[in-house]
Amino acid sequence: MTSESKAKIAIAGGGLLGRLLAWRLCQYDVNITLFEAGKLSVPQGACWTAAGMISPLSELVHSEKQVYTQGLQSLDLWSDWSRKLELQGGRAVGFRRAGSVLVAHGKDRSELLQFLRELQGKLGESAREQVQVLDTEALRDLEPALHSFEQGLYLRGEADINNHRLLPLLLDVLRLQGVQLRELTRVNCEPWCISFPGGEEHFDCVIDCRGLGAKDQIKGLRGVRGEVMVVESREVVLQRPVRLLHPRYKLYAVPRSDGRTVIGATEIESEDLSPISVRSSMELSSALYSLNPAFAEARIVETRVNCRPATMNNNPYIHNEEGLIRVNGLYRHGYLLAPAMVQQVENQVAQQRLLVF
Amino acid sequence: MSDLLNFYGKTFNSRLLVGTALYPSPAIMRESVKASCSEIITLSLRRQNPAQQQDNVFWDYVRESGCQLLPNTAGCRSSREAVELAKMSQEIFQTDWLKLEVIGDDYNLQPDPFGLVDAARELVQLGFKVLPYCTDDLVLCRKLLDVGCEVLMPWGAPIGTGQGLLNKYSLQTLRERLSDVPLIIDAGIGAPSQAAEALEMGFDAVLLNTAIAKAQEPVLMAQAFKLAVESGRAAFNAGLMLRRQTASPSTPTLDMPFWQQAESMLRE
Repeated sequence: MTSESKAKIAIAGGGLLGRLLAWRLCQYDVNITLFEAGKLSVPQGACWTAAGMISPLSELVHSEKQVYTQGLQSLDLWSDWSRKLELQGGRAVGFRRAGSVLVAHGKDRSELLQFLRELQGKLGESAREQVQVLDTEALRDLEPALHSFEQGLYLRGEADINNHRLLPLLLDVLRLQGVQLRELTRVNCEPWCISFPGGEEHFDCVIDCRGLGAKDQIKGLRGVRGEVMVVESREVVLQRPVRLLHPRYKLYAVPRSDGRTVIGATEIESEDLSPISVRSSMELSSALYSLNPAFAEARIVETRVNCRPATMNNNPYIHNEEGLIRVNGLYRHGYLLAPAMVQQVENQVAQQRLLVF
Repeated sequence: MSDLLNFYGKTFNSRLLVGTALYPSPAIMRESVKASCSEIITLSLRRQNPAQQQDNVFWDYVRESGCQLLPNTAGCRSSREAVELAKMSQEIFQTDWLKLEVIGDDYNLQPDPFGLVDAARELVQLGFKVLPYCTDDLVLCRKLLDVGCEVLMPWGAPIGTGQGLLNKYSLQTLRERLSDVPLIIDAGIGAPSQAAEALEMGFDAVLLNTAIAKAQEPVLMAQAFKLAVESGRAAFNAGLMLRRQTASPSTPTLDMPFWQQAESMLRE
């Protein structure tokens, strides 16, 4: 860092990680430039497709414990950061810490047991304290729309955030804070250097948050296809994210404040961005219908498809060298892991002696 | 003693075939395959829209295992669908080996015997080495052999149920009647003991996926299955004792009167 000028930091990728990181770095005395290949007003990454769940327990069964511990960190960070963001941006981001509910149909009851068993296997006895078993009545009190289920599980600590409010709000706040925004600029990231067709620019540190855009630079980075649908119903209103456990179909339904519900998500080992398949839409629809038959009259207002950037072990990727930090591979855990990852990057930028309050 | 498997003119040491789906991550999948010592692994193309992709990092990763790839037609509901997918798999994975699945019932993913025979006939004519996933019906198995399948894969129980060998009577019949046909128990195996049992009964190999992939420690479970399959095969080769109704001490019981001993022998 030169004494006569502020440190210059480049962030490549205007998805959730890039935006959140830019916002966090605004509190330091640095110059920030955010590069985005597409348009920032129309996020193209998985962060826009996702349902915004922050559910460390539900996700633990198919991930390593690291995801759980970082998820818990993120939960706390989200409740702090969303408050700050709302103050700065002047509107709500829809952070809701109302827990989540897991249900299975009578025939698939063993799925709930299996879930509990796996949780206990990974967390030991502390799993019991975090999961409440619900009978028909308790379930009906908590989620009246799920009246036909005989039992369920309540994961009290889980949360979700409305990404379609959060991401635009983050953009507004970045503008307010004077971050330089360079849209429609596809870049390459090297130590201290951002290059793009027709030129390059030098920085004190480059942070690569390009997701699948960084595929050529990160060995083993792959895309995992996911498909979601958005439905609108006046009849069925859920209070919180609900997951349906089934031997073959997995469904989550995340209600939004505007009467819409985001349902998803498939997981297909394929870097394919073509529209949702008939099969996937049938699976999602029939699973939704089985939550409450009144969903049959809901309207499908949108379908979204994207690829999640993932490493071969499905754990997040972070690489740190002088002048260059790469963060990637948040896989299906973007909102669950982003704050914890951003904080880690913040520390690494500080280690490169670039941050001064 | 050499005890190699021979499928379609190719020999293998391992009698455990594994799938590549449902693992927590590709890295754990690969480690589990390694721990299982499998030499043949199945993988699915269905839903992945192969026509859309020039490169798929996951497929490359599977190819790097060095195992014989056995693409499957999981999820196909008609022989037409299965044949088309088989051709696509052949092109992508450069192999004419195929695990043929034609599903006849959505809930328990039961094979459709009629569609299966049709598809097998056509694929064999096209030069595929077809390993059909079938039920334990003797007549169906014969028809599959008639159309040119050299290896059969009868189910132990419906896919993913982990119920083990549900109909031992008909499986035993298959083994006895088709004594020189390589038979692989495919689907329904949930525990290593069940895999061992299949091998003890004289089946040539087992194929499974969920029991390993969904275990809390897939790599350890893969190892458990490897040992079970080896153990079951060794037991089969060694010759199992017959079951008896009464205890039969390996040393003579001196205090038991002779006539009682004779009586107990007669009861057997």
